[in-house]
Formats: sequence, C-alpha cells, structure tokens
Amino acid sequence: MIRLLRNLLVLLLIGIGSYFAWIYRPLTPEPWSNDDIVTLQSLWIDSLPTPPADPSNTVADDPDAAIMGNRLFFDTRLSADGNVSCATCHQPDLGFTDGLQKGRGIGESKRNTRSMVGVAYSPWLYWDGRRDSLWSQALSPLEDPNEHGSDRMQIVRLVTTEAAYRDMYRSLFGQPPDFTDSARFPVAATPVDDPALASAWAAMSAADRQTVNTVYANIGKTIAAFERTVLPPTTRFDAYVSAVVHDDKDQQGALFSKDEILGLQLFIGEARCTECHNGPLFTNHEFHNTGVLTVPGQLPDRGRIDGVREVLGNEFNCRGEYSDDADRRCAELTYVRTGPELLGAMRTPSLRNTSRTGPYMHKGQIATLAEVLRHYNRAPDAMIGHNEAEPLGLTGPQLKRLEAFLQTLATPSAR
Amino acid sequence: MSVMNRLRIFATLLIAVSILTWVPRMALAHGSVTPDADLCVIQIGYFKAHFKVYLPETHHHEDFCEDLPGIGNSVFVMEYEHDGLAQTPIDFRIIENITGQGRFTNLGHIEEIENLDKITVFHHAAAIQADVFTVGHNFDRPGEFVGIVSVTRPDGDGLYTAVFPFEAGYTGFGYWPWIIAGLLLLQLNFLWMSGRLDALRNASMTTSVIVLLCTASTFAQGADEPDISISREGHFQVSYTSEVQPPVINRIHNWVLYIVDANGEPVSGASISVRGGMPVHDHGLPTAPRVTSEPEPGTYLLEGVRFHMRGQWEIEITIDAGGNRDVVIIPLNL
Repeated sequence: MIRLLRNLLVLLLIGIGSYFAWIYRPLTPEPWSNDDIVTLQSLWIDSLPTPPADPSNTVADDPDAAIMGNRLFFDTRLSADGNVSCATCHQPDLGFTDGLQKGRGIGESKRNTRSMVGVAYSPWLYWDGRRDSLWSQALSPLEDPNEHGSDRMQIVRLVTTEAAYRDMYRSLFGQPPDFTDSARFPVAATPVDDPALASAWAAMSAADRQTVNTVYANIGKTIAAFERTVLPPTTRFDAYVSAVVHDDKDQQGALFSKDEILGLQLFIGEARCTECHNGPLFTNHEFHNTGVLTVPGQLPDRGRIDGVREVLGNEFNCRGEYSDDADRRCAELTYVRTGPELLGAMRTPSLRNTSRTGPYMHKGQIATLAEVLRHYNRAPDAMIGHNEAEPLGLTGPQLKRLEAFLQTLATPSAR
Repeated sequence: MSVMNRLRIFATLLIAVSILTWVPRMALAHGSVTPDADLCVIQIGYFKAHFKVYLPETHHHEDFCEDLPGIGNSVFVMEYEHDGLAQTPIDFRIIENITGQGRFTNLGHIEEIENLDKITVFHHAAAIQADVFTVGHNFDRPGEFVGIVSVTRPDGDGLYTAVFPFEAGYTGFGYWPWIIAGLLLLQLNFLWMSGRLDALRNASMTTSVIVLLCTASTFAQGADEPDISISREGHFQVSYTSEVQPPVINRIHNWVLYIVDANGEPVSGASISVRGGMPVHDHGLPTAPRVTSEPEPGTYLLEGVRFHMRGQWEIEITIDAGGNRDVVIIPLNL
C-alpha cells in the first residue's frame, strides 16, 4: 500500500513536471503567412493616412492656427491659479499623458489622462466620447473646476487683450470683439458647474453670450489645430513590419527576438487583441465594456451610455451653432449608436507607446501591462453591463510574450 | 489495511463537512431577494431587478447575493428587468437590524420601528437612475443589517417596498474553501488508489480526439458573399455598392442599396430599417445607419455605416413595400 502511494506521488510529480516543461518549452515562430502579412501591414505606421478632415473647424489644418494653439497649449495663464496648462496633464515627455492614475490640475479629475498622440483620427474624445471634436474637447478642461478651473470670460479676455494672441487671433478670425465693458461682460462667467459664475453668465444678454462663445470656440479650434499635428512616431514594430514586407530575414532577426515575434503572433491571433486594437493606431476608436473593476469607494463608471447623452446635448457639438460644418452632415453624431450595450463601455485606447503610458484603464485602476494582460485573460463578469471580452486561457509564458511584443510599440527615445 | 480504513473515514468526514458548509450558503437568500438560476433577483412590487453586491477592495470581481463575507467599501447593483424602474425614483436605505428577527425580518417588522433614521447607516434619497442602479456604502464594522428599497407605484398610489436582511462581515466560511480544496485533493488521490485511473486516461484520449477534430474543422473556409441577397420570404432582392472599396474598418461611409422585387422590378417608396452586427461576437454595429433618400426608384442611400473590427458581419435590412414586409441579410467578410 505504501509502495502504491509512493508510485502515485512519483507519477504526480512527473505529471506536474511535464505540464510545466510543455508550457515553458522553447518555441520557434512559424513563418508569416500571406494573410498574416496583410494584417501586419494594416497595423503598420505606413498605412496611416493623413488625419481625416474636420469640417466643423475651418482652421483645423491651418499652420498659423497650430502655432497659436501650440502656445495656448503650454500657457498656464489659462487656469484659475496660473499653474495649470493643457501640458500639465498632457506632458510631451510622458507621451502626452501624466503617469498618474487620474489627472491632476487644480484638483483631481474624474478619470485617467489619455495620451493625446494621434488623437486627430478619433471621431470621439474622452473615455466616454462625450465630445465629438478636438476643439470642443479642448474647451471643456478649461472650465472644469478640478482641471484648469478657469472660466470662459477669463479665457476670451486673455486671448483678446494679450498682444501676441490678439494679433494671431485677428489674422485667423478677423477683428476680435471688445470685452472691456464690465457692465456687459463680467470679470468671470460661465454656464457650467459653478452657481455664482452661472448666474453671472445668465445675466448677460443672449447676443453677448454668443459673442463670447464664438471667440471661445475659435480658441478651441486653434488648440485643436496644434493637437492634430501630434502624430505617432515610427517604432521598432514598424521597422520589423517593413522588414517582413521586404522579406528581409536578417533585418527581421536583428529587430525582433523570438519572444517578440511569438507575442505578435498571439496579438493578431489567439489573444484576439486586434478585434479592438486594430489599424495603424491599434484602436478602433469604439466603445467597449471590458469588465474593469471599479476603484474601491467609487461607483462603477457608466461610461459611453452617459457620454452619448452629453455629446448630443453639448452646445459645441458638430451640429451646434459654433460648428463650421455648413451642411451639418456630422455623420458620426447623426448616426451615433445608443442602447444598453454602451453601459460601462469606454473608448479603446491606442497601444502605441502603451508600455510608457501607464497606469491603465479609465481610472488608472491597473498599474502594469502584465496585470492588464491577466485581466483580459480572465475576462471577469462586469459589475455593470456586460463584459464583451471572453476568457482567453493563455498561459503565463504566452502573456509574457504578448507583453514583450507590446514593448516594441514604445516611442523610441530622443537620443 | 489500516491506511485504507483511515482514508475511508477521512473521505466520509470530507463529504459530511462539504454538505454542512454548502447548506448555509444555499440558505443565504431571504426577504425580497431570491436566487434565480445563477442570478440573484430582487422583487419590488411587480418590478424585478438582478441584484448583486460587490466588495471590490477585498473580493474584487466576486459578487454576492446579500450576505457579505467582509466589511469595507461595497457597491450594490440592481440591473432592471423592467424598463419602468429606469424611469421611477428609487429610494435605497440600509438600517441596523434591531428587530431581533435576524434573517426572517420582513416589512411588517420594519414598519413597527418608530425612528428609522436613528438606525439608518446609509440612505440614498429617491432618485431616478437610468440604465442601472448603483449605490455604495462603506461598512466600517460587521453586523446585521436590513436593506430597504422603495419605488413609487406607477399609479402614484403609495410605494412598493422590498426588504432584505443581510449580514456584513459574515465569517461563516473563513478558511473553509481552502480546507475543502485540500481535502478534495486528498479525495482525488483516494479515487486514484481505488483504480479509477484508467477511466481518467480514457477521458484524456477522448479529449485529444475532439481537439484534433476541432482543429481540422477550422480549416473549413466560409463561402464568398453573394452579390445579390434574397429576402427571407423571397419578396425582395437587394444588392449594394459601398462608397469605400475595398471595405475598410473604422471609417464612417455610405452605401447605395438597389432593391428589386421578385420579378426584378425596382421597388420604390419602401420603408427601410437597417441594423446589423457580428453574430459570433454577439454585438451590433458601432453606428445606427439610416436610409436617408431614394435618388432613383429602387435606389436608396444608406448613410452612417461603420465597422470596427475585421471578421464576419451581417447587415440586416427590413423592407416594407407594396404590402410586403421582409428581411434581407447581407453577409460581409472584412
């Protein structure tokens, strides 16, 4: 009997040993098939077209507007305490994000700061898509009490009185209005959030409010023109695809390790990443519920289902009076999808430079890429709504290879 | 021999412990909350909602039907089964259970309490929450509580109220799941000893054969999509051209639909609705496309089409014309 037990124990150990030997076995990547190469090319930066036009913004591709927007982007005077600019959270050195769980301006913002690189390609802005253009997005943090904490009267007054901005504004949009009459234009006023500022705003005449809004929207349009120029650079992954396309085996071997190739094969295959992270920006710009856990002490984020309501009611949307889109076609807004499957859904982020733009997810809940991969491998039920992802059943070494591949999408260092 | 006997005794003990541990879990549901299949359901008057509680800090994605195994930050979630709840103010209150009735507390006992506010630990005043109801409460100590959910009756005549007693910091399980897992392993060993190993080996052989068959079947290729799609009942034939050729993902664009009847005559003045999605992924289109004009008889402009991933899509077009209503499915492989 004791001998039988001992034999069984040996058998068990051999079994466990062979299991680990199997999952950790060295693998040689299969050569790329023609279908694979088509997929690789679809992810390649050379497949990225010029940014789509924005008919709602006539200065979207005006270089002078981009110069003005660039200056505004880094200007801390666009804030309540003179310390916060757009670049406070969108730091160029950190891939135009901030490395924090949630953005920090005057206070703490509601969600994680998304990278701004390649943002010109997205029809929707923010995690929940509550804005439909770069210019309308740019206006929102300026008046958010936790971000810039400024107000629309302060912003339009700065831009129309400071000499350099005033000249740039005039050459782009014509003579700026005069906001010096304090009887008509209060020191501070905005319709959002703050009750005192909102009553100051409501006390203004409709025509004056429209004048302020027009200048305010134009300011957003110049910031948008700058943001459209922030494009993703070529990465080691792109060089590798180039080597695959040119069938340069030596170059392929020099650029990618076996694990990185295996990781890429998982990425476009078994791990099903390209179902959402597709195209040269590794995102479909769409909204998905992936069952990310809420931050303890906070209620689950409703995401897109609230974002749709907000963008449809936003005065600066593509169909609003400050949009330059003359025929108001606004296809994305007009044919926007609503419905319960948007509950808890968030916009797919780009994976370019992802290894350097943590922490991850809409509240920065997940600290590392390894944990993100484990989350998708498990695909737990969502707290609210329905997790669209399904468990993947990948092994530890497979997740490591995926992570190795994701590192190849990092923006190369300046030196 | 004595080893064998000891093992038998051990196994019997194991089964006894398993039963004892599972029984209280089955008895957890009470009051207006009842388990329904694998979901927990709360009944408020004739309204129903899926009910679950989370302890994200300590139990992550695990959800509970009332009784909470720990304290700390909790999230109560009700997913409406009736649209009515999405338009009705819902009042949610948690009180200390001072009734002395434990898990048999009901609405009658609650109505006898004179000052509800005095023992209230959490109150979410009546408010409409669209889509889903969520509230959070930080349980700072273990204890017995009662949840009270009230909704205004649709006829405006009073309230529907659901009551569910529960415990927070319930420690009945403790380390039991781990102990049971350990015992199960021992039992597995016991089974192997009693010669069931062959059965296991056979099972793994069968699995390998199934895996081989599945692998082989994935080589089977789907047929190309037809140029003309015929409606289910044969009333209409639909073909289309896309503004974007070849079809790409992540770009909003328009289609032109050509609709003819069974005799090949253009169908004009049709009322058309369009939806679609990926059947394999169980999701719809990322946009809501609409037919916006009919430039020529039987030729319709479909605006707002976008696809957000590669794979098999289906566009479902419902056509209502000449007294016939019929559905056409256009398959699409991106």
